[in-house]
Amino acid sequence: MTNSNSKPKTSVSNIHELGLLVACVLVLLIFSFTAPNFFTERNLLSILRSASYVGLVAFPMTFVLISREIDISVGPSVAYSGVLFACLIKWYGISYPLATIIVLLWGLVLGYVVGIVRTKLFVPTFITTLALWSALRGMALWQTDGMPVMIGSKAFRHFFGGDFLGFPTVTWIMLVVFIIFWFLSTYSVLGTNIYAVGGNPKAARSVGINVDGIKIITLTATSFFSAVVGILFVARVSSGNSTVGEGMEFDVIAAVVVGGTALGGAVGRMTGTLLGVLFIAMIGNGLVHWGIDPDLNKVVRGIIIFLAVVINSNLTLKSNTGPKGED
Amino acid sequence: MSILQLNNISKNFGAIVALDKVTLNLEQGEVLGLMGDNGAGKSTLIKIIAGNFKQSEGEILFENNNVEFNKPMDARNKGIEVVYQDLALCDNLTAASNIYLTRELKKKFGPFSIIDFKRMFESAKNIFAELKSETLPNETVKMMSGGQRQAVALARTKLSKAKVVLLDEPTAAISVRQVAEVLELIRQLKAQGISVVIISHRMPDVFAVSDRIAVLRRGKLVANKFAKESSAEEVTALITGALETA
Ligand SMILES: Nc1ncnc2c1ncn2[C@@H]1O[C@H](COP(=O)(O)OP(=O)(O)O)[C@@H](O)[C@H]1O
Ligand SMILES: [Mg+2]
Repeated sequence: MTNSNSKPKTSVSNIHELGLLVACVLVLLIFSFTAPNFFTERNLLSILRSASYVGLVAFPMTFVLISREIDISVGPSVAYSGVLFACLIKWYGISYPLATIIVLLWGLVLGYVVGIVRTKLFVPTFITTLALWSALRGMALWQTDGMPVMIGSKAFRHFFGGDFLGFPTVTWIMLVVFIIFWFLSTYSVLGTNIYAVGGNPKAARSVGINVDGIKIITLTATSFFSAVVGILFVARVSSGNSTVGEGMEFDVIAAVVVGGTALGGAVGRMTGTLLGVLFIAMIGNGLVHWGIDPDLNKVVRGIIIFLAVVINSNLTLKSNTGPKGED
Repeated sequence: MSILQLNNISKNFGAIVALDKVTLNLEQGEVLGLMGDNGAGKSTLIKIIAGNFKQSEGEILFENNNVEFNKPMDARNKGIEVVYQDLALCDNLTAASNIYLTRELKKKFGPFSIIDFKRMFESAKNIFAELKSETLPNETVKMMSGGQRQAVALARTKLSKAKVVLLDEPTAAISVRQVAEVLELIRQLKAQGISVVIISHRMPDVFAVSDRIAVLRRGKLVANKFAKESSAEEVTALITGALETA
């Protein structure tokens, strides 16, 4: 160990992230040389855009996983938030800013409720968010009859659904959110407490950390950013769609785990998640450019991500069972 | 000077009498070995001192003042720290982060207040030096030996300026070499005027560091004497009941 090793992290994380960086470059090169129209400005920006939506939820999800919880309701949560947003504007004539505030509040409250159910009623978050996964999609479909709810503002679409300074606006937002989460995870007491809760909840509690509060915060943040992405999706296509975000929970969790976060908690870093998000987005896009049948695309993606996760969790497992007792 | 004085402490769990009128004192800078068979009441006594349990009867004097500990924080605020057997540490954090958990040192970074890792490392390094431990502040606890983990746990108590440190089975489940390390840590605490109560089943360990030995049998204090004036044989007999009192 050297003195530069100063942040809460594991010793393998640097190696792991370096490996993932190499994998990202390899994937980029392979697709660039084998898939027509992959390495074009337009397509690279499109990869960046889809990565950004995933990233916005993946950063808070990293905290959720580190604190030993999970949220699998991301896709439906994104869809329902978008539908709610569009309905508020179209059916109730509510202004964009007010609708935004209401939907973001909805996201906060939903995550808070999941956290309360977890910490006060002891229902595992997997179960609660599985129920939400079904319920929110159902709500979105039922409320809209499965039809898009169109809204008209061009300014809203052009800014939040479009580009800013040459890059997708959502990418800028994602970068800001990344910096915030990276900062929190590396230099803040809150971040340290999240790691502590994941590392040993009993120990965390015994030194006075509010373990329940920490879990509620991470779950609320994830739900909040699902709502943010829901609104940004609406901005992209000027309508609320009950079917968007299908399988997004898969992309988000896969990106986080590929990025080096352990499903069992305690271990994970925002930089790894950022790389994981790019990795997943490139694979999804590259396979399309290879002309693989969309249904088969899902199969291939599943296999690749499965392998990446297996490789990664073997790494984290090794580090977890490393030299511990005897010297 | 007595730092801690227990007068006629009893504790009942329903019909079970876990402690029966235990009177015991602890001097400043003294190491007290608390011995007894399984179920004798050692942990219960420690927990009462640490504020985890309230005694059913009896009084506790801390620095000659009557004190009431209703929760662990009350005891901690007085300077009583417990290091439990399972060493509540976070494996995924560095030694320094563990020591400073919830009381991190901070510095200004623009408008933000951020964790000052450098200062925490330096200070943790000094504490380890005081404990004569070679534990590295920036190493992740996961990688550490049992002795080093013990050092991290004790460094935490040093940081909070503990006056009394209670150790429940600190040498259980670690290798012989590490036991020596832990015993050395206890001697260093003592050298700095900190009082230590150590619970252990390992007779040689207790005799190696203790000034005084107290023996509990079925909740009763059956011996309380200087280690020099006792022996492993005598204590064994006291624990099992072969010897009534001494
Ligand atoms: N929380 C509790 N509830 C009920 N009985 C307890 C509790 N804690 C300890 N006891 C009982 O009190 C007695 C003393 O236990 P303990 O202090 O743990 O002994 P030791 O640490 O010496 O092995 C035992 O009979 C034990 O079963
Ligand atoms: Mg015990």
